[in-house]
Amino acid sequence: MAQIEFQQVGKQYANGHVALDNLNLQIKDKEFLVLLGPSGCGKSTTLNMIAGLEEVTQGSLRFDDVEVNALPAHRRDVAMVFQSYALYPHKNVYDNIAFGLRMRKYPQQEIDARVRKAAQSLEIEHLLDRRPGQLSGGQRQRVALGRAMVRQPAVFLMDEPLSNLDAALRVSMRASIKALHQSMQTTFVYVTHDQAEALTLADRIVVMRQGVVQQIGSPDDIYERPANKFVANFLGSPPINFIDGVLMQGERGLHFRSGDLSLALDDETQRLLAGCSGRAVSAGIRAEDIDEHGESTDCSLTGDIASLLPVGSDQFIGLQCLGQSMFFRVGKELSCKVGERVSLSINRRRLHLFDQASGVNLKAQNA
Amino acid sequence: MSVQALGRRWLARHSVAPSDQRSAMLLLTPMMLVLLAVAVFPVLYSFWTSLFDIHLTRMNSVSFVGLGNYIQTFRDPMFWAAVERTAWFTVVSVLAIMVIATLMALLLNQEFPGRRILSTALLIPWAIPYVVDGLMWKWIYDSGYGALNGLLLQLGVIGQYMVWLGDTHKTLALICNAFVWKEVPLATILLLVTMKSIPSDLYAAARVDGANLWSRFVHVTLPAMRPGFMLVMIYEAMMAVRHFDLFFILTEGGPADASHVLSWHIYVETFRNLSFGTGAAVAYVLALATFAMSYAIIRLLGKRL
Amino acid sequence: MSSSLLFKRLALLAGSIVMLLYVLAPVAWLLSSSLQREADITSIPPHWIPHPPTLSSFKAIVAASTGTAPDDGNAAFIPSTAQYLLPALRNSLVVAAAVVLLNLLVSVPAAYAMAKIRYIGRDLSVYFMLATRVIPDIALVVPFFLFVRKLGLLDSVGSLIITYLAITVPFSVFMLLSYFESLPDELDKAARVDGCSRIQALLKVFLPLAVPSLVAVIMFTFLTSWNEFLFALMFTQTAASQTVPIIVASFTSDFTTSFSFINAAGVVAIVPPVIIAVVFERYIVSGLTAGAVKG
Repeated sequence: MAQIEFQQVGKQYANGHVALDNLNLQIKDKEFLVLLGPSGCGKSTTLNMIAGLEEVTQGSLRFDDVEVNALPAHRRDVAMVFQSYALYPHKNVYDNIAFGLRMRKYPQQEIDARVRKAAQSLEIEHLLDRRPGQLSGGQRQRVALGRAMVRQPAVFLMDEPLSNLDAALRVSMRASIKALHQSMQTTFVYVTHDQAEALTLADRIVVMRQGVVQQIGSPDDIYERPANKFVANFLGSPPINFIDGVLMQGERGLHFRSGDLSLALDDETQRLLAGCSGRAVSAGIRAEDIDEHGESTDCSLTGDIASLLPVGSDQFIGLQCLGQSMFFRVGKELSCKVGERVSLSINRRRLHLFDQASGVNLKAQNA
Repeated sequence: MSVQALGRRWLARHSVAPSDQRSAMLLLTPMMLVLLAVAVFPVLYSFWTSLFDIHLTRMNSVSFVGLGNYIQTFRDPMFWAAVERTAWFTVVSVLAIMVIATLMALLLNQEFPGRRILSTALLIPWAIPYVVDGLMWKWIYDSGYGALNGLLLQLGVIGQYMVWLGDTHKTLALICNAFVWKEVPLATILLLVTMKSIPSDLYAAARVDGANLWSRFVHVTLPAMRPGFMLVMIYEAMMAVRHFDLFFILTEGGPADASHVLSWHIYVETFRNLSFGTGAAVAYVLALATFAMSYAIIRLLGKRL
Repeated sequence: MSSSLLFKRLALLAGSIVMLLYVLAPVAWLLSSSLQREADITSIPPHWIPHPPTLSSFKAIVAASTGTAPDDGNAAFIPSTAQYLLPALRNSLVVAAAVVLLNLLVSVPAAYAMAKIRYIGRDLSVYFMLATRVIPDIALVVPFFLFVRKLGLLDSVGSLIITYLAITVPFSVFMLLSYFESLPDELDKAARVDGCSRIQALLKVFLPLAVPSLVAVIMFTFLTSWNEFLFALMFTQTAASQTVPIIVASFTSDFTTSFSFINAAGVVAIVPPVIIAVVFERYIVSGLTAGAVKG
């Protein structure tokens, strides 16, 4: 199966709750697609639909251009890793991994070969005789991976598989999953609410919110050119800083104005937003978009330092400016103290501008 | 639109997979068959019977009387006497069961060596059939040679053997005792399970707040046990109202109707007077009373279930 | 501190003794009476402890069913129905076994469907099932009787099997239902993604995990079948189908019966259910409440 496609797919429950609204998505063969969003956004629902565990209320779900809405889960060629691993408690590790192959009536020798190979690559060979109850969280997770791997499915589904692991394990498992994707050369669909995870793992990300797709694109696309305020806010740590204001025409051209603050815009932005003078906008400035070596005064923020947190090679500055708290990340070289008044120069090329009412990214819209 | 497509749309709107609906129907079929044939049919037929004047000896002259059997029942003083006895029996039984079972559950909730023996022993009354329970107590209550008489005589409480079951003032209470004895184990287990689910943190907090044993019981245990109490009370009340076996074994409704309760009344009407119509009517009145009673208990003890 | 601890210990001990006496004394007396001669237990006051214990009453039971008269002069006090006690044991066993088996076959699939499958009519089916048990058994006897008679099953164990099936299925389904519900949904999903249809998921994943609940169901069903009296009274007429409670009840209504014999019959009647209850004790509680899944 090379392609999975959602055509105007919707899902509603009997009580009226809408889980998915008009989902249109084409999942490419062999890509690593991440469904990202807060809880209740519909990402797990989408995943379960691919698996056949949730019903499609409206629209058409197609595998290789054949509608599969009515195809039951046990007849689809998908494998899934669950958030809680869902290992069979009464079977040992070997039988857990072999179960799917046995249900599909593979010959015993083939099953044995595949199970042992997967166990080897996941370094759980020594656990084959144990029961899930005797394993640690990380070991169970690998068994769950093994169970899905041996099926060599057309699609590999993962529902927040790392969220139950401790932080250190999570980071190393991310790398393993990425490597797995490379070696298996299969389509991966991965659900998470962790934006850092999405950014590291994905070929493409689908950002969702309350059943509606916000943006589909590569990590770079999503991060650099967020389609709206929600996406801009969801990705990035610490979150993007927003300032509400207006676009105004001045002597040096279009600029952003909020109270006393005036931020000059670069040429490209001015060109794109030429017809937007007078529009109420929200300016978005990411924490790292400080132009440390710039000394321009026409695009800078001035405020009092409320907090100062050193983080390794950088430091986080909590700036009190225009009556709100903002967070920026600067290098260690900038020496300042809490309570001091500083001026931070903004990288104007990386300034985001969103329509205040709709949240839409104006630069992207007019590009 | 075809029926098939309509059906599929209905399923989709409720977010139900057609294959799931099929599987569920298949898995439910055996149970449905059994219940429909052997449970629903008798219930409906029984109600139907209650609307007729049916007598086993006059099966050729069956006439429809509508609610006539019910009216006749409500006019029958024997019926009301039976209601009164049933009510007495139920109330006393349930009270006794609740008190004894609560005490036992409190005891079993403690940790002490030999507790396992106690909880195993508790199962014995529960496991034996009511017939043997009746036979056992009948032997104990026997006015000529019974153990109750013997024990009381030896302890000097009485001067000579007394009549027990045969004494109309004592009959119902003695049957009550036999019933309570056998029902207590299940009630104890149910209450114990509820007790065990109370987080020990609550007791620790109460201790720190200065509560003694009695206060802890009143302010932590009792409130948390409300749903458990209600469940046990409703269940035991339902069991008491319908109980039949002991009344058959011990006294057959006597002596002089002292233990002529509703369930016995139904039995007599149906199988001795052979009047199926009225028998069925009384049975349905009993069923309704059971419903009403459960409802009353739920409302009385609060909405929390 | 230690004096209050001592007090607590003593209180527990006293409480335990009282409880033990309350629960066991009547049964102990039943047992004791069955092991004594008639003369000893009918003395005033009776001999509490068999001294010496005698098995003559039990021998009489065996003798009665093999048709030979007992050799201790108590022949006049054996009830006429005594010969049917052992056949009744067999009937009770057959009925109980059949009901347990059929019950499992009917209840397990239904409980799984109700617990794990989302289907139209689910809530309705649960209420329906529970509602069949609201009407008191007394009210159902006549229609049952007519139904059974029409099928020609009167005075056969078949009538009892069908009836007991109907009265035990709802509770079994209820117990299994709450147990299945306590098992994680994701196991079901994993099984289906692994290639199991719903029925295969039930057989290969949920059934092995539901063993504690299954044992509880078997136990409750067995005990209910063994102990049931009213329907057996109505539907059975001869030793061909009469169960233990019926035969034992017939002893008590026979006024010339020796008490030691009746008590011995009582003991025989309670041995199977008591053994089963004691052996499977720990499953009773787990059966009444939803169990937890390990692993």
